[in-house]
Amino acid sequence: MSDPQLHAAVSELLFREARLLDEQKWSAWLELYEEDAVFWVPATTMTGGFTTDPEHELNFIYITSRAGLEARILRVETNSSIASTPPPRTCHLVTCVMIDAANDKEIRAVASWQVVSFSEQRGQQLRSGSYEYVLRPFGPSFRIARKKILLLEHVIDGYFDVYSV
Amino acid sequence: MEHGARYAQLIDDRPDEGIFRINRTIYNDPAILEAEYRSIFEGGWLFLCHESIIPRPGDFFSTHMGRQPIFVVRTEDGAVAAYLNACGHRGSLLVKARSGNVQSIICPYHGFCFDMKGRCVAVPKRATGWPGEFELSQFDLRPIARIESYRGLVFGCLTPDVPSLREHLGAATALIDIFVAPAPQPLEVVSGYSIYQTACNWKIMHENGPDAYHAPVVHNNFAAAIAYREKRSGAEGLRKTDTGRLTARIASASYDLGNGHTAFWHERPSPEAFPISAQKDALARRFTPGQLAWIVERGRHMTIFPNLLLNDLASTHLRVYRPLGVDRMETIIWCLAPVGEPAEARAARLRKFEDFFLASGMATPDDVAIAEGAQQASWAHASPWSVLSRGLSSCSDGPDAAARELGFAPRVSSDSWDHEVAIRGVYRRWLEMMEHNPERRHV
Repeated sequence: MSDPQLHAAVSELLFREARLLDEQKWSAWLELYEEDAVFWVPATTMTGGFTTDPEHELNFIYITSRAGLEARILRVETNSSIASTPPPRTCHLVTCVMIDAANDKEIRAVASWQVVSFSEQRGQQLRSGSYEYVLRPFGPSFRIARKKILLLEHVIDGYFDVYSV
Repeated sequence: MEHGARYAQLIDDRPDEGIFRINRTIYNDPAILEAEYRSIFEGGWLFLCHESIIPRPGDFFSTHMGRQPIFVVRTEDGAVAAYLNACGHRGSLLVKARSGNVQSIICPYHGFCFDMKGRCVAVPKRATGWPGEFELSQFDLRPIARIESYRGLVFGCLTPDVPSLREHLGAATALIDIFVAPAPQPLEVVSGYSIYQTACNWKIMHENGPDAYHAPVVHNNFAAAIAYREKRSGAEGLRKTDTGRLTARIASASYDLGNGHTAFWHERPSPEAFPISAQKDALARRFTPGQLAWIVERGRHMTIFPNLLLNDLASTHLRVYRPLGVDRMETIIWCLAPVGEPAEARAARLRKFEDFFLASGMATPDDVAIAEGAQQASWAHASPWSVLSRGLSSCSDGPDAAARELGFAPRVSSDSWDHEVAIRGVYRRWLEMMEHNPERRHV
C-alpha cells in the first residue's frame, strides 16, 4: 500500500498536467518538465507489440530534452502548421494512478489515460492508453523526468501530437 | 466501352498548348475506384514488402493487393511466395497476424492444414463424408500470379500477362540501386513501423510524394521548429537535421521515369548530417565521382507506381499506399538502414525519421491535413480542374546531365524538383492502365 499523501501529490501533478494541456497553457505545461526530460511514445511492432529500445528502434515520438518539447509547441505557435492550427480542443482523462516505486530522488508512477479531441477538420477523436512517469521532487511538488506513453491503437486514424495523447 | 473515353476526358493533356490538368472527380467517383482496383491494383505490379521482414523459413507478412488479402511467406528452400489469404476450403481468413513465423498454416475454421508451398497437407476426418475420390490438392492455396524481387524489394501481380518486374521498373532501377547499394551491407527494415489511415483518395497522397513545390510552404514550420531546437540545445554532426532544402534555393531536378514512376533530387546543404557521409572514402573506391555525388551529396526521392514511395531525404524509408474507399486510404511506413550500421548512425537516422515522418512527426501531419482538405475540396465540381503544368515548357525528353552521370534514361527531365513533370508522368500512366482493359477480371 502506497503512502496516501504521496499518492495524492503524484495524482495532483498528473491532473495538473492534463489540465494545462486542455487549457493550452503551453509555457506552464513545459515548466513541468526537467531540462533533460524524456517524452517517449514507442512505435508498434509487426508482431503486435511495442518497441522497447528507443535509441535504436523506431518510435512514434522520442524527445530527449525540454528543448524538443518546446520545438513541438513552437511549431503550433507558428500558426503555419495546418494540422495544428488551431490545435484540437482536448479533454485528458487520467485515472488508475499507482505508485510503482518511490525514494528521495525519484518516484515511478503509472496511470491510464483517455483523450477526447475535437477539431473542425477531423471531428471528434478518441485515443487511450497508459502512462509511465518518472518524477523528481521539485519544491512542494515534482518535475517530470520521463513520460512514456503507450497508445492502444495499432492503426492510427489521422495524426496526433504531444498534446493529444 | 465508353469508360476509356471517359477517363481520357479527365486528364487534359495538351503540352503543346501549355496545358496539363486533371479533373478532380477522379478523387471521389466510386466507379473510378472500382476500375482502379481492377485495372491498376489487381492488374499490375504492386510492391508487397521488403525481404528483410521475412528472413527465415516460415516467416510471413500479411497485406493486401487492392482489395484482396494476401500473405507473403519465406518457404523452406529460401524462396519468397505469396498466396491469397483465404482458405482453399471455405474461404476463411487464414493468416490473421500482420507478421510472425509458422511451421504450417492451419485454417482457424475447419482445421485444414497447408505447407509453405501452399499445398493442402491434412484435413480433419478426411476418410469420411467426402464424395468421390478425395484429393487434398483440390484445396491448395491460390498463389498470386507473379512474384519477383529487385534488390530486396518484393513485388507481386495478380494477373500473369504483364512484363517482367525489371521491365516494369525500367529507369527506376538505377535509382533503386543507389538507394540500396551504397553500404557494403544490405538494407534491413528497422524494428518498429506504423500504419495510418487518412481521409483522402489514394492519388492525392501519391501526388504529395513527388510534389516538392509544397515543401517550403507546408513544412516551413518544421524548419523553424528544428532551427529552434538546434539553437537551444546544440546539435553537432550526425545529430543535426538538414532543413536547408526547405528554406534555401538549391540545385535540384525531377524526372518522369516512365511507367508512372517518378524521382527528384536536391543538393544537400549539409551532407555531413547524413549517416552515409561517414562512408564517403570507402564509397569513393567503389563508385565514379558522378555516382558518388548522387549518393552522398543529393537527397533523393522516388515513387514506384502505384503504391510505393522510397525516400532518402531526411532519412531512408519505404511507404506503401492502399485505397480503402474513394475517400480513405492506408499507409504502411518503415525506416530502412544498412545491416550492422554503427549505433550512433542508426540513432541519428531514426531521430530524423521520427522528427519528420509518421502521423506523430512534425511534417507528415501537415501533409495529411492538406490531403484531407484536398479531398473535401474535390467536391467543388463547378471548378473541377487541378493544374499540373509547372515546368511544361522547360522540361526536356530523355536524360539530363545528372541522369547521364548515373546512367538512367528518364522519359522526361526537368531542372527543378518543384516542377510537376513527375506527377504528369503518374497521370499519363494512370490513364494508360485505366484505358488498357478496365473490365478485365483477375485470379
